[in-house]
Amino acid sequence: MNRGYMGKILWVDLTVKEFREEAIPDEIYEKYLSGTGLAAWLLSERIPAGADPLGPENILGFVSGLLTGTGSLFTGRWMVAGKSPLTGGWGDANCGGTLSPAIKRCGFDGIFFTGVSEKPVYLLIDHGRPELRDAGHLWGKDTAETEEYLITEAGGHARVAAIGPAGENLSLISGICNDRGRIAARSGLGAVMGSKRLKALVLNGKKRIPVYQRTEMQRLSRQCNKWVQLQPPFISGPLAAYVGTLMRVLPTQMAMEGMVYKILLKKWGTVSMNQMSVEMGDAPVMNWKGSNEDWGIGKSLSVNPDAFKAREKVKYHCYSCPLGCGGVCTSKGPYGEVHKPEYESVLALGGLCMNGDLDSIFTMNEMLNRAGMDTISAGGTVAFAMECYEQGILTREDLNGLDLTWGNAAAMITLIEKMIRREGVGDLLADGSVQAARKIGRGAEAFAMHAGGQELPMHDGRNDPGFNVHYSVEATPGRHTIGAQLYYEMFQLWKRVRGLPRPPLVYHKDRKYVADEEKAVMAAACSRFMNVANGAGLCMFGLFLGAARIPTFEWLNAATGWRKTPEEYMAIGAAIQDLKQRFNVKHGIDPRSFRAVDRVVGRPPQNRGANKGRTMDIEKMRSDYWRQCGWDCKTGKPISREATHVI
Amino acid sequence: MSYKITENCNGCGACVKLCPVHAITGDKKSLHRVDSLLCIECGACGRICPVTAVTDSFGIVCERIKRSAWEKPQIDLKACMPCGMCIETCPVNCLAPSEPLPGREPHAHPFLKEDKRCIGCGFCAAECPVHAIRMSPPSVTD
Repeated sequence: MNRGYMGKILWVDLTVKEFREEAIPDEIYEKYLSGTGLAAWLLSERIPAGADPLGPENILGFVSGLLTGTGSLFTGRWMVAGKSPLTGGWGDANCGGTLSPAIKRCGFDGIFFTGVSEKPVYLLIDHGRPELRDAGHLWGKDTAETEEYLITEAGGHARVAAIGPAGENLSLISGICNDRGRIAARSGLGAVMGSKRLKALVLNGKKRIPVYQRTEMQRLSRQCNKWVQLQPPFISGPLAAYVGTLMRVLPTQMAMEGMVYKILLKKWGTVSMNQMSVEMGDAPVMNWKGSNEDWGIGKSLSVNPDAFKAREKVKYHCYSCPLGCGGVCTSKGPYGEVHKPEYESVLALGGLCMNGDLDSIFTMNEMLNRAGMDTISAGGTVAFAMECYEQGILTREDLNGLDLTWGNAAAMITLIEKMIRREGVGDLLADGSVQAARKIGRGAEAFAMHAGGQELPMHDGRNDPGFNVHYSVEATPGRHTIGAQLYYEMFQLWKRVRGLPRPPLVYHKDRKYVADEEKAVMAAACSRFMNVANGAGLCMFGLFLGAARIPTFEWLNAATGWRKTPEEYMAIGAAIQDLKQRFNVKHGIDPRSFRAVDRVVGRPPQNRGANKGRTMDIEKMRSDYWRQCGWDCKTGKPISREATHVI
Repeated sequence: MSYKITENCNGCGACVKLCPVHAITGDKKSLHRVDSLLCIECGACGRICPVTAVTDSFGIVCERIKRSAWEKPQIDLKACMPCGMCIETCPVNCLAPSEPLPGREPHAHPFLKEDKRCIGCGFCAAECPVHAIRMSPPSVTD
């Protein structure tokens, strides 16, 4: 009996323009939940080995979460999955907004596309009736224009996900947008959508979502909401930077309490961490070769959280989110009202390129959202090009006359325009830094900061080695939304899951770099927990409240009627992790090839700044992690058909 | 589970016009039917039917209520988080985010934007986890 989930998915064959509903057995939901767990089960079996990510055999799935629409909080995430053209392996991306409940209200837990359409089309589901419509007139339009047009055409209230010119041009760093600028950006899945000539999904459904115990769901939500609304009024933006400085200079640190981060998020959003992260060594600077000494408090002042707060007109909440870390801001550029740039975007287009011009960051962020291009990868690629220019590998002539020096905001804007349009040097860079480095040669590979072909996010693993572990071991490499030592501390899983270690309240920073078994247990727990979260449609920021405050496992039981223990849910997370790793091996990926590049793991260590002298034994940490997953500790390949999970 | 139309139906079509998911079909002046796969049990057909020809999911005949007396959502802004669940669950899209209140953190709380479209289903109130929405007759709402 369906409870929490809708019990079926929709298949859309774009080649022959046919629709097919498939009922999913209850056992599958119990084994893999919904969301990316369901997608991993389906795609592992149904994408043939060696399939071209941009060919008809690839499957692109849009999935909602098991908890979405059940009265739970923080469960508005939707996920897209397929074989990634950027990494060649498992690809997924995760996004907030309002699309997730719309998928379920159309009656499905997921919508999966196969084949390739001859001409551009979009999918309309109007009250359960799917239809493919011509999108020739929309091809070339940006995501905001497309969304506006399709919502109006559907009567004013549909929910839309669309690609922009980047996805259409098969840029390998393109994503899929909804809500006028929320983007499922990673893994290059916008290019998969573009290759299928699928411009958009337009969802207009009002089905009710079945819940086993709605009153219990709501009781749990009310308890959780009390923690969310607990907000002291006395925090100040300028102080945030100096907190980062203090965290840098102290030899010890405290285990991070997620409530502190929640308070910052509720007031400023993710940009609350901008200056603090640079100061403490969490944010990479100057294509990962610089430090806080190159982009100190004076230079990063322009991205102080209060600068964003001053432009915020209204806060933006994703579906079912009581926090509202997003915002709609007024910008001075050509776009008027825009989504508040996120921390990742600000630092990728800011400190990573030594750019302190806030207006240009707003402009580039909006350009990229409208084009449907990943701000992390785009920023990383621009930083790569800047260093190539500095090293003389790319000349001004190669760059179509652009003087791409560090911090030249005008040149960055022009370069990003070219990348979006695949014009001139933009064509070379539109597929990310790794692809560009291969074409450039002449040693350019040394300046592409990536793991497994994907540009790295704005969290420096030399500060928190946990980030480097997850960048290097996940089936989708180079991701910051899965785990870190910091995240483990904030998730506080040891309060709900038996056998997990509790970090000391205060510890010496050197402890973070010791590659011991406990770090691997913590990392594997993060992976498993986030697989559960992505099966449930949960937002990671909500999970930072701590496992005793956000009732993930209790919500799942109340929504479905299951009686699973937290340990059993963690085993489900492990099974999903196993599926994704097997997907990669099936498609010829050597897990060892996903290791983050040398500079990022501190080889050689930096000689100044917050991360001075820091290096890490990534091979040992990676091997320990693989062992925790029950995989071969030398190759990272799953050993037996059925996973042997250590909980 | 679904609402059903009985033999009493006179085919006036009032329910067809109101059904937010287009689940009701039938020719004018002939017996109409509800597609049980599409019905979301909002009850609007039962409240509007002039000849009480609609039964609910439990087989109970629905009582006709004058439309001007249908209950409307009343939103307690102090209790509202705001999370947008009510806006997304509304089958007729009559709720929308408001302009933020002055002098506070600029959150956009929901408000009844299109009063006349509201069908009084109460889904918004039922799904609000913090009980910030109460369904009240128009006199109370006003």
